[in-house]
Amino acid sequence: MEIIVKAEGLKKYYGKGEALVKALDGVDLEIERGKFTAIVGTSGSGKSTLLNMLGGLDVPSEGSVQIGGCELAHLNSEQATIFRRKQIGFIFQNYNLIPVLTVWENIIFPITLDGRKPDKKFIMEIVRFLGLESKLDTLPNNLSGGQQQRVAIARALASKPSLILADEPTGNLDSRTSEDVVGLLKVTSSQFRQSIVMITHNPEIAAQADRIIRIEDGKIAM
Amino acid sequence: MNFRPIMVLNKRLFRQNRGRNLTAITAIMLTTLLFTTLFVLSQSMRENLIEMTFRQTGYDAQISIKNITAKDAEKIAAHPDAAKVGQSMVAGLGMGDALSGRQVEIRWADENYAVHSFAGPTTGNMPKTRQEIALDTIVLDRLGIPHELGQKVTLEWIADFTEDQNRVSEFTLCGFWEGNESSYASFAWVDKEFARKAAEDAVSDTAAGKDPASSKIAGQYMAQVTLFDDKNMEAVMDHILEDTGLTGLEYSVNLAYDPEMNRMAAQENMPVYLGMVLVFAAGFLIIYNIFQISVTTDIQFYGKLKTLGTTARQLRKLIYCQAGMLCLAGIPAGILLGCLLGAVLVPVFLQGRFSSVSTSPVIYIGSTLFAAATVLISCMRPARMAGRVSPMEALRYNDVLRGTYSTGKRSGNAGLCALAWSALGRNKKRTVTVICSLTLGLTLMSAYYAKNAAFDMEKYLSGLTLSDYQIDDATSEDYIRGYNPHGDTLGDTLRERVKSLEGLEGVGYLYSHETEISLDERTISNIRGFYTEEKLNFWSSYDPNGPKSLLEAITQEKAASVVYGADGIVLDAYCDREHLLDGSYDAARFADGGYILAIASAGEEGEKPGTVSVGEKIIIEDHAYTVMAVLDNWNPVTEGALEEAAVSGADSRFYLNFILPAEVFRENWQENTPRKLFFNVEDAHIDAAEKMLDAYGSENGISLSVTSRASMMGQYEREYRASAVMGNVTSFVIALVGVLNFVNSMVTSIVSRKKEFAMMQSVGMTKKQLCELLVREGLDYAFITLLITYAVSALAVGVGVRAMVEGGFTTFRFTLLPLIICTPVLLLFSILVPYCCFRNIEKDTLVDRLRMEG
Repeated sequence: MEIIVKAEGLKKYYGKGEALVKALDGVDLEIERGKFTAIVGTSGSGKSTLLNMLGGLDVPSEGSVQIGGCELAHLNSEQATIFRRKQIGFIFQNYNLIPVLTVWENIIFPITLDGRKPDKKFIMEIVRFLGLESKLDTLPNNLSGGQQQRVAIARALASKPSLILADEPTGNLDSRTSEDVVGLLKVTSSQFRQSIVMITHNPEIAAQADRIIRIEDGKIAM
Repeated sequence: MNFRPIMVLNKRLFRQNRGRNLTAITAIMLTTLLFTTLFVLSQSMRENLIEMTFRQTGYDAQISIKNITAKDAEKIAAHPDAAKVGQSMVAGLGMGDALSGRQVEIRWADENYAVHSFAGPTTGNMPKTRQEIALDTIVLDRLGIPHELGQKVTLEWIADFTEDQNRVSEFTLCGFWEGNESSYASFAWVDKEFARKAAEDAVSDTAAGKDPASSKIAGQYMAQVTLFDDKNMEAVMDHILEDTGLTGLEYSVNLAYDPEMNRMAAQENMPVYLGMVLVFAAGFLIIYNIFQISVTTDIQFYGKLKTLGTTARQLRKLIYCQAGMLCLAGIPAGILLGCLLGAVLVPVFLQGRFSSVSTSPVIYIGSTLFAAATVLISCMRPARMAGRVSPMEALRYNDVLRGTYSTGKRSGNAGLCALAWSALGRNKKRTVTVICSLTLGLTLMSAYYAKNAAFDMEKYLSGLTLSDYQIDDATSEDYIRGYNPHGDTLGDTLRERVKSLEGLEGVGYLYSHETEISLDERTISNIRGFYTEEKLNFWSSYDPNGPKSLLEAITQEKAASVVYGADGIVLDAYCDREHLLDGSYDAARFADGGYILAIASAGEEGEKPGTVSVGEKIIIEDHAYTVMAVLDNWNPVTEGALEEAAVSGADSRFYLNFILPAEVFRENWQENTPRKLFFNVEDAHIDAAEKMLDAYGSENGISLSVTSRASMMGQYEREYRASAVMGNVTSFVIALVGVLNFVNSMVTSIVSRKKEFAMMQSVGMTKKQLCELLVREGLDYAFITLLITYAVSALAVGVGVRAMVEGGFTTFRFTLLPLIICTPVLLLFSILVPYCCFRNIEKDTLVDRLRMEG
């Protein structure tokens, strides 16, 4: 089986001396391509920190992360940004949509930042799949939470990343919408052969994953 | 669809940040306005300086040849390197009462010469026949001839300095042009035949045994050469002369083309350049602050963009694009307003000089570049900050209060105070920037004000005038033909009229006579002692003949001398302690006769004057006098021409001058008429005196040379007020920029903490407390700013301005008046702005504010 994400001895410490916080304390992890992985754990266990490390948003104090064989530590911040927008699709709990851009513009934003031409046919397929056709010219603030999250998903999928990192994508959604969103994610990822790593508090959602990773006190609990 | 993400974001963000844009555009506009105004001023000053030099030198060709033959002039004209050659021949000099005090050169000239001498007829044309003449309006006005072609012109003139009788010729006016007062002379163009005839006459006179060398005017042939460009003019001219076989021909290069001119212009523009540096500083402080605040406020947004894959470069580009859009709006508006302001200020600035407002492209290009550079430099740090934002920034969406309030024991209102105080420390960069910005403007204003306030009109006038009115003999300042000691300007009628003026406070007369005196040993040693090596070197740097004539006087033990006779207010004013270098003045003994006052250059304190010592005897034309005191050289008395014409070289002799009582003077030289008349009138009767002088002048058809205190004050206005206006405008606008910065900083600081305030309120802070907190913050801000501004201004005025004004016509007074006036204004702002912001915040409900993002 092909490994898409490989983390070794991942540590993230904040502060010093008595105030030292070990957000991550030696995590080793391998994630296979095309699989749906759920990360669960209590609040403050280090799930978000781990996800941010895997996505190259944050820099580990120690250890290494490889994505698709690329060592993130070897990239400078500019290269890391470019790598991220090409290889990884993020879905955030607060959606992180750009309020001044329309739904369509938000979806194609990372692609155009890269100077690429958006694959219109492919993206429209996602849009239709997510039921956003009628909302393309709307500004995000005029959408409901579920709709906004669907836009964020469309954006994450649009650049055809090999890895999708989702930090509690359903945290702000009611349970019905949550299920819809996760269902959509599963279907689209399998359709477009993408790996998903998702943080969730929701055990029902976690249950749908191929694999569940539990984090306790900055370590993987077996 | 071609979607350019940064451009689209740029446009949309721009539309969203209306408040910031307005402030930034205003700031950029004000900065550009000042740059443009300063550019307009410096360009106009430069152009006018060059124009003025052209007018003073009297021509705008590069090369002038004072003595050449017509044949040689043609040779030069035929040379390929000479663009144009203008030629002229002198016929004589205009004479007669009507022209007294104005040199009128009667000449033939070709079109080229006339035009390049700023004397081409603008109405009519150059003379073509023996009877025709073309004149400027100054000469026409003096002769009382209307500005109309075809008028009869009767001109008195001489072809030669030795002529006793004026010649009289009749002409018809064939052309005229606007006269130019700043030029040393007016031209009267006549036909070539006329000039040739005059020259021949002068030659025949010469044959009759008169000295031709120094006195002949007519027949002198001149040429002006225009070259193709202004570089290496001397080399090009030498080359032309070599090619034409005229090597050795004397020529002079037009002073206006001298590289020195550029240096002079640059020097005159020094205050303007300094102003530009200050404008840059002020512009930087506010634009930097605006962007800094804007980026800080939106930092989460930039973080968000980064998580989505926006690179640092793209983020920087976004900031620069925003700045560019702001420039697009602010710079043209600033240039427009700056040009308008410049157009208003230039005439004030260059008053009394030839004045035109420059429209050189340098202004537009220069101010655009300077303003754009200021904005660009101001944005660099904020742009870097946005570029360096960590993507994690965006993910801190949970409501943790960033920034720290200092901890400590707090209770009751003291808590609010401490809270308000700590808010200032939260963004130190912003606080420091605003304080710098305000301090810069207010300190500049104070310094300018103190500098202008230090000007002492009495000191200024006392160096220039002796009395309310001074009337000179018409020839007193005739440096060409020399002073005529028997002139009749200050005749009996005028003297009677002055005497009978109502409110007359005092009168004084000045006479002068030129003679030669012998120098005794003691005097020579005084002179040697006074003129040290250093002084001689300095002297020869501007007058090489000076030290030479001094040495000559010492070896021959003889010096030339102007002996003045003075009485009344002249002696009263001159023998004041202020002018006394040595000895003491006793009016009664001096009036009795036998005493004389010596005039000497003022040297260092305690230095022995370089003239006859006090108590020594001096013999003047067989009369012996004892020197009672030595006075310094005071312009109102000593200024004026020597008796002999400048051409004779009399001015290159060494002079020792003296003052006798007018009575004694008149006994010795009974033929001499008064040279200068001084009188004081009560302020209430100044107008009457003015009227009397005007009436006298027009009755007798002469223009009296009157110097009045009032006209001197006017001259001050012209020379000094203009730069004061410029300084005030610049420092006022810079202070305005500072206030804008202050207000903007306060507003944004409050608006960006809306949510934080909502949270404070949600846990129990009352509206009143919040309002109080905000006002206290504003007042703290104002107090710190004022404290620093007062300290810096006091230093700038007390040390800087004091040193700067030393030695001029000034009396330094310590003042911070503009600052004192600004203090309540600033305090008012610091209460009003937070209060208005508070009202604005309160428009949204608490819940709405708690819910908002960021």
